[in-house]
Amino acid sequence: MLASAQGNSLINLLDFSIPAFLIILAFITGRYIERRHFRNLAQREQQLSDMIISDVKTFPNGAQPHKKAELVMGQVVIATDYLKTFLAGLKKIFGGELKSYETLMERARREALLRMQEDARSRGYNAVCNVRLSFADIGGMSGTKGSVMVEIFAFGTAYCRLDA
Amino acid sequence: MIIVNTESIPGLRIRQMIGLVQGNTIRAKHLGRDIAAGLKNIVGGELKGYTELLTEARRQAVERMIAQAQQLGANGVVNVRFSTSAITQGAAELYVYGTAVIVEPEQAGVQEANHVS
Repeated sequence: MLASAQGNSLINLLDFSIPAFLIILAFITGRYIERRHFRNLAQREQQLSDMIISDVKTFPNGAQPHKKAELVMGQVVIATDYLKTFLAGLKKIFGGELKSYETLMERARREALLRMQEDARSRGYNAVCNVRLSFADIGGMSGTKGSVMVEIFAFGTAYCRLDA
Repeated sequence: MIIVNTESIPGLRIRQMIGLVQGNTIRAKHLGRDIAAGLKNIVGGELKGYTELLTEARRQAVERMIAQAQQLGANGVVNVRFSTSAITQGAAELYVYGTAVIVEPEQAGVQEANHVS
């Protein structure tokens, strides 16, 4: 009798302590990973500042005819941390802006665009036009068991500008 | 083979439009990656396994589209679009389509005229 009561209290303790542990872990790692990612993004954007990207269908600033244009792509799958999922879950009861997911989307978009530009740079181009961003909801990736993952895919046509 | 998602290609003239070509692939994620992804959902950050999976899948879809275009005698595909659809839980279809074309170098005279206008 006593043993089973102790067993129950232990299970209850575990019920609370596991999510609490995950939230603390997520608070530390999530913030660290996000800050590091934002620093990394800013640094890489600086390096690619001479690259012109646009979403028009023509070739801004003119394209060099001898270097053939080419399709370039960039994609990223990114997940939030447990704490943000938890906070967003609370916020969803009241409605309103979900700030914690906004940073996730921003990071994913910037990362996908950067990868596309790096792809273009590595092939010797200095501009990308007709850039399209798409959000892919991969089957079962979002919405199940509170896990939040997004996939952002960016693609465009890389070419060499005339003025560079 | 020249693949672009614009309607024209700089320095080249489209001699003939052949028609729509497409490529697709359906991929499922596997358990090992799922477990790793589950852990990543706690700490946050990029899911490299899934990124690789999708990159590889898109490349294959593009290759299939190129193969179809080559079969039709094309040497380029313009106006390429990508789309993704969720077939069932845990599997995704990656689909790419575009217009196969035969392109040839622009003649010097034509290029001059374009430049002036």
